[in-house]
Amino acid sequence: MESNTNGNSAVSNATISSATATSLPSVQGAVPSSKLTQLTESLKLEHQFLRVPFEHYKKTIRANHRAVEKEVSAVMSTLSDSGDLSQDDAVKHLNSLVSRLQGLKRKLEDGSRAEHLQAQRCKARLDHLESAGADNISEWNNTRLKRILVDYMLRMSYYTTATQLAESSHIQDLVDIEIFYEAKRVMDALRNKEVAPALAWCADNKSRLKKSKSKFEFQLRLQEFIELVRNEKNLQAVTYSRKHLSPWAASYMKEFQKVFATLAFTCNTGCETYKVLFDAKQWDFLMEQFKQEFCRLYGMTLEPLLNIYLQAGLSALKTPFCYEDDCPKEDPLSQESFRKLAMPLPYSKQHHSKLVCYITKELMDTENPPLVLPNGYVYSTKALEEMARNNNGTITCPRTRDVFSYSQVTKAFIS
Amino acid sequence: MELNPIKDAFDSVIKKQTLSSSKIEDTIEQITQEIQQTLSGIQSAINVPSSQPKLILGELKTKLKEIAPLNHLEATQKELNIAMSKYTKLLEKQFYPDISKSYRNVDFDTHIINQIIASHLYRESMFEIGDCFINEAHEEETIVDKKTQFLEMYEILESMKSHDLTPALKWATTNHDKLQKTGSDIELQLHRLQFLEILQNGSRDEALKYGRTHFAPFATQHFHEIQKLMACLLWVGKIDSSPYSDLVSPTHWAKLADELAQQFCNLLGESYESPLKVTVAAGVQGLPTLLKLMNVMTGKKQEWQSMKQLPVPVDLGTEFQFHSIFVCPVSREQAGEDNPPMMMSCGHVLCRQSITKLSKNNSTRPFKCPYCPAEVEVAQCKQLYF
Repeated sequence: MESNTNGNSAVSNATISSATATSLPSVQGAVPSSKLTQLTESLKLEHQFLRVPFEHYKKTIRANHRAVEKEVSAVMSTLSDSGDLSQDDAVKHLNSLVSRLQGLKRKLEDGSRAEHLQAQRCKARLDHLESAGADNISEWNNTRLKRILVDYMLRMSYYTTATQLAESSHIQDLVDIEIFYEAKRVMDALRNKEVAPALAWCADNKSRLKKSKSKFEFQLRLQEFIELVRNEKNLQAVTYSRKHLSPWAASYMKEFQKVFATLAFTCNTGCETYKVLFDAKQWDFLMEQFKQEFCRLYGMTLEPLLNIYLQAGLSALKTPFCYEDDCPKEDPLSQESFRKLAMPLPYSKQHHSKLVCYITKELMDTENPPLVLPNGYVYSTKALEEMARNNNGTITCPRTRDVFSYSQVTKAFIS
Repeated sequence: MELNPIKDAFDSVIKKQTLSSSKIEDTIEQITQEIQQTLSGIQSAINVPSSQPKLILGELKTKLKEIAPLNHLEATQKELNIAMSKYTKLLEKQFYPDISKSYRNVDFDTHIINQIIASHLYRESMFEIGDCFINEAHEEETIVDKKTQFLEMYEILESMKSHDLTPALKWATTNHDKLQKTGSDIELQLHRLQFLEILQNGSRDEALKYGRTHFAPFATQHFHEIQKLMACLLWVGKIDSSPYSDLVSPTHWAKLADELAQQFCNLLGESYESPLKVTVAAGVQGLPTLLKLMNVMTGKKQEWQSMKQLPVPVDLGTEFQFHSIFVCPVSREQAGEDNPPMMMSCGHVLCRQSITKLSKNNSTRPFKCPYCPAEVEVAQCKQLYF
């Protein structure tokens, strides 16, 4: 009778597990479902991975479309402008329009090649996400780490290393090197105290910057104004402000007034409020500002991905025990550098006991329950059994060097 | 994760885009044709003195206005825009749109992070990239030591791949004492592999000689092992079909290479896995929980930035469990030095504060264990060390 019930429960267990397996059809059965939900959850973190190339794609489409609109309407309007023409002039005029249209066509061909490449990239990323499964998870995770590192390097302007790492791992399609090169041009110019490329970038992305109420362009203009004042070109500064600053005045009156006052103070001023405006640090600020605008436009996080993941990981790993001398080497927080990074972060929290055997480093659970030596030290059943087997039933506590007989150990119940 | 709807949404973007492109092409073609027609019209009438280009041009103008190319394009462009914004919205819905939501605005020292990255690159045998990184990030070469150490390890492992154990054995001999101290028998394992390699290449005398010189120091501790190996001498040239065939299985090489890497890191005082890799992996597992937490903490951003302990547990896999954490089942508090775990005489474990509370601070008064019928006394409780 008893064996029968056992058999029944085995069957029902089997059906339960097969039911969970079928409810998750995309991945093979043998993997525990917790691992699968973990995988799904981790994929959900990849918003930027899909979003950034798509924004790039969108941008190219828009640029191409704008070019068409511009050229076509130009053709139409020159046609309406053409008044009384002689036959020869009319022929010439029409011929020029035809070649203009042909030029547009060629330009579009290039444009659609770029579009196609970027669409491919978006597709490659979708495929990469789809390829993540239980059978290739460690390789996939390695690639993810490399992607995260490349992202970090690009944001820190380590372009050469980023490119090398991407190329050596064949993940060029999975990282955004090209996009960051667009930023590099602007960043390099700002470093050399030139605003022109940054302004051109603003013009390129005018509508989207306006939508996000960015005042980056205003800040660039202010800086240009300051530079004019620095070089004592006051008259020019005034004309400049009339042309480029006044449109912003309504929204940013205070800043506008403050900067305008520099005309009176000049760059040698001792007055703190105005001195800072002439500081070279203003350029660093502009670079930082640009980075943020750039990331926002492409739907990237403002922080490097690496920092985000490191913070989350360190918080999850941080326990008071990490800072003790006997913290095991395998814990990243045994290293000084990681400890320093984790300093301002919160400790993790546990609702349930999780005990790790000091000897085997294995989890002590119902399969491998904890045993207590008479001196109060706790080790796993597996570890103590093996020690007893190899030493004729005696056990030496590895931490206190006390020697006991295996018969002296007792079970501890942890709930 | 269900990626199909996302893929479908993307495909529809592509479809709309192709449509829009071909429409643009058609329109330009149409305009060009009209102009060319007019052109040939004018040209054919070139000898007719009464012809009036102005009239013909006027006709062209009206024709093109009828085509209204720009209005034409607008419709397809609109459809494309709709498809694109649909895709963007879908991404936002299916993914965590901003994973930096739970980021604490603390000063994350770039210099430290760069050092961590550099040593990660070296320990993952990306030496050139590591050099390039240090150069580009202007990091001082304080980690060059680490580079040479890992360079040695990868040279050893590389040689092992081509069944050359010389560098490995050299390393093991140099570090003999240290390895003994940690209780590792990797030196013997390397000698064993070398011995079998000689044997398989067919030279019994050489193998015997090798065994004599190199196994002797291990004789006392690994007697059985060595006996077995010497017995292999009887099967020179046909070990594959001997009772010892499992000794020459090629998997031993890969296994030993792993073990060597582990011991090598161990002697260096390093972990086997790159700590950067471990931390990022933990971050990937933990971040979803933190992001969900942020959703319920909206409006308490300030509180989050100064919290000393996470308000919720972040469940990581057992591979990230490096410390024993005891949580008192009664008070739900984590045990620490000032509140250690105590085992009652029945074997159940609580924190000291809970036991003090249950006993009403009276060490001789027996109280009932909250988990079993046993009556226990504080005096009999024993502090545990995990």
